Amino acid sequence: MYNRIKELRARQDLSQLELARLVGVRRETIVFLEKGKYNPSLRLAHDIAKYFRLPIEQVFLFDDEAAPKPTA
Amino acid sequence: MKRTILMFVISALVLVTLVLWALKGHFTGNIQEIGMSGIVLVVVGFAIYLGVSRLRSHKLHEPAEDELSKKVMMRASSLAYYISIYLWLFVMSISDKTTLEAHSLVGAGILGMAVVFLLCWIGVKVFGTKNV
Repeated sequence: MYNRIKELRARQDLSQLELARLVGVRRETIVFLEKGKYNPSLRLAHDIAKYFRLPIEQVFLFDDEAAPKPTA
Repeated sequence: MKRTILMFVISALVLVTLVLWALKGHFTGNIQEIGMSGIVLVVVGFAIYLGVSRLRSHKLHEPAEDELSKKVMMRASSLAYYISIYLWLFVMSISDKTTLEAHSLVGAGILGMAVVFLLCWIGVKVFGTKNV
């Protein structure tokens, strides 16, 4: 599973710390999510998607879905 | 915050105990004692590091613990438990081949478990906790 958090965060000019505070986690969790080293709980995935006003499936994508993989 | 303070208090108590043990003349400077003291210091250093990172989170108005930190702890604990079973099997297998007394072997085993946990924690932090 990969996600578009980094891209969506960049669009809104939002720092990792700001996003972490908005969804109630530590900055390290956002770092791990962006690096693909951690799969979030359904609750956290929901909170992040809700913040970006997108459905969960547009923020978190499975490898078998036809979407480009993030480069970093 | 209470848990952070508790971590510092326990670390300080362990350090004071180590210093008192050395000052009482029990420390003879042989390689076994140096090794054990070194491991205790590493474990205490790890506890202090965790305490400092919790304090830093508190300063940044972040939660001291969140789902990732809990998951890292859980994954590291389960891995360390699994590896520790083999560690104790190893300790049992060498118990009759070594000159160490039983209490020293048990102490070494417990310290070994702490080191195994530390290594597992570092491993989980480096490689992540991805489960898909």
